[in-house]
Amino acid sequence: MATPRRAAWGFLAPFFVLFTLFTVYPLARAAVLAVQQTYGPGTERFVGLDNFKALAADPLFWKAVRNTTVYTTTTVLIQLPLSLLFAMMLNRPGLRGRAFYRLVFFSPALVGVVFVGMIFGVIFEKRTGLLNQFLHAVIGWDLDFPWMQNYVMPSLVIATLWQYMGYNMIYFLAALQNVPRELTEASEIDGAGPVRRFVSVTWPSIRPVATFVILLSVIGSFQLFELPWVLLNSAAGPDNRGLTVVMYLYQRGFETGDLGYASAIGWMLGMLLVVCAVVQRRLSRGEESV
Amino acid sequence: MSASDTAKSGRSSAGEAGVPAGALLVVLMAVVSTVAVLAWPARTAPGRTMWTSARLHYQLYEPIVAEWNQTREPRVNMTLMSLEALERRLLSGFLSGTGCADLLETERRVAARAFTGPLESVGFVDLTDRLKSEGLYEQINAASFSPWTSRGRIFGLPHDVHPVMLGYRADLVEAAGIDVSQIETWDDFVRLMLPLMAERDGDGKPKRYILNLWETQGETIEALILQAGGTFFDEQGRPTLASARNAATIAQIVAWTNGPNRIAAEARDFSASGNRLKLEGYVIASVMPDWMCNIWKNEIPQLKGKVKLMPMPAWEKGGRRTSVWGGTMLGISKTAPDFEELWAFAKNLYLSPEMARALYREGDIVTPVKSLWNDPIYDEPDAYFSGQAKGRMYIDLAPSVPLRASSPYNSIAILAVQDAVVALGIYARQSGKFTVAELEPEALAALAPAQKRLEQLLDRNVFLRESAANDGGTGLSRLAGATEAGVTK
Repeated sequence: MATPRRAAWGFLAPFFVLFTLFTVYPLARAAVLAVQQTYGPGTERFVGLDNFKALAADPLFWKAVRNTTVYTTTTVLIQLPLSLLFAMMLNRPGLRGRAFYRLVFFSPALVGVVFVGMIFGVIFEKRTGLLNQFLHAVIGWDLDFPWMQNYVMPSLVIATLWQYMGYNMIYFLAALQNVPRELTEASEIDGAGPVRRFVSVTWPSIRPVATFVILLSVIGSFQLFELPWVLLNSAAGPDNRGLTVVMYLYQRGFETGDLGYASAIGWMLGMLLVVCAVVQRRLSRGEESV
Repeated sequence: MSASDTAKSGRSSAGEAGVPAGALLVVLMAVVSTVAVLAWPARTAPGRTMWTSARLHYQLYEPIVAEWNQTREPRVNMTLMSLEALERRLLSGFLSGTGCADLLETERRVAARAFTGPLESVGFVDLTDRLKSEGLYEQINAASFSPWTSRGRIFGLPHDVHPVMLGYRADLVEAAGIDVSQIETWDDFVRLMLPLMAERDGDGKPKRYILNLWETQGETIEALILQAGGTFFDEQGRPTLASARNAATIAQIVAWTNGPNRIAAEARDFSASGNRLKLEGYVIASVMPDWMCNIWKNEIPQLKGKVKLMPMPAWEKGGRRTSVWGGTMLGISKTAPDFEELWAFAKNLYLSPEMARALYREGDIVTPVKSLWNDPIYDEPDAYFSGQAKGRMYIDLAPSVPLRASSPYNSIAILAVQDAVVALGIYARQSGKFTVAELEPEALAALAPAQKRLEQLLDRNVFLRESAANDGGTGLSRLAGATEAGVTK
């Protein structure tokens, strides 16, 4: 009996080593850093809960939280219904060229976030930008319309929609293709209309996938960094309108060099995400029990 | 054969030892690959290492380094990398004490990051005494030391001066009969140039604006504030953002960029769309440090012979006609052996007449070494700038370049002031108040939160607090020539 047990530990060892090295240790180190002020490992001062106290009174941190929450809510509320809508359109029986449309809608997800930031930076440019030029030609739009100055959050949401709508659509499409056909047909025979069929048959069938997609989108949105960073030229935009929690963490940790404060932000973000996940789990359990 | 059969056969093949064959294979692969990685010879060239992030500099240095390596020891091997990579590696090396390159060429923002901790933790060698004992301190333009000076100690050899002028579309200005020699102040500039904004486009908006400036252009805002005699930090390294002078400057910037008397518009640098707007003459004049001349030559060659330079208009009669934008230094890492040899190399690279000439010819950058300013190369006419001897023009302004703080919080201070400008712009548009007199009180109020934010940041830094108590500030005023350059006007 001893040998198989040793073999099992042998197989598990790489995971434990890597998990300890790259997850447990960094988490523990971040917890220690959060109660310190440091200038490298050789220069550290214990500051207790000062970092967290300062964070609680830091208007920029709360602005970052507000911006990130607005972005997350907006993208989830707009993106997921749109993704589902497009998935349902592609799931129509008899649709020709389904694979082509699927590729077209999915292809933006293949582009790196940095490229998306650069592309939309050019699109949203004043005077010479594609969007203002197009709108100017069609409806006489103001060429100097300041998308990236006064409308930072809508610009970010538009860029995100372009990139991720097709990506989430694929999840929904896969879920829709697994909805039992006999159930749909039976409800149709029973006289259910399209709305009734969606509410009573389709939605309950795809709800686990929808919950998963929402959770992923919320977590991904709260970790927003690269897109605004590139779109706003390595800054948070005018009046910090594009400042996100992770961007603020980066600024404080790697631009100001305050790793203790950045660790405190990281822990706050982690706790925020745990709360989101728990709330969502509670809500989805509630739905299931209903 | 079923899956269970396969499993059984696999187990039986393990034989009497009882260890599955698959497990042995995995372990063997792990051991072999580990040994292979460890045994793989690391590619290290003999000699010392130097990192730079400027491609132009790298290309200029190559022949000098090659010549050095033929005749002197130790050899120096240069590596070109992105600024971000250099920043990460430099800080990782400094913070962890594990060392990095022996010679580090870096720009202002990155170098300042090394000054966040206690003075003894700065990873660069303190060059102050050496510069003074060898007389280099007096030979180099005083203001060029300021970004590399922390708490009175100098940690880098300056590469440049980077005085600033206004580059303007001479073809359009001269066609309108405007004589720029009449311009001494910003008021003169606006009064004389304003007729160029008379022409309207289809939307009824001016076809041209006379100044390339917008509310989030941090570098230019900083240059204008410094030119006006404003400061970001005082002698003790405390923020001085909410000053009357800074308020007046940002009020003027907002008045220029908003309202019925707007004279400025946005044509970004390093951007295709910005270059197109410059080419179209959408903006007439842009703030131009010496290095920017080279950027224009490379990115907008069509403007050759159509642009000229003039000293920046002063904020008041007799005031400073230049400012400063950018900067690079060469530092020696504390972990580097052979300091004497590396110091000799650094001087050879940065201070030689050959390098000064190459720097100007290839990069349009004037040297900070004052004794080399007599070189006739600076008097040569530049065809791009309509035959002006622009080198001489920049050198004439070099002694007036303002000092800058080396605070690690400087980039945050610039962003904070930029936020204040944005907030003031919003106030102006909402209230309909667009004159400097109307905006000044609100400007001071907009700078107050920026000041507070900086103060909070600094107060949290126990290391700077301790240093301030022990050493007393940035030591900028101790730089030669600081009085006339006016660090704390």
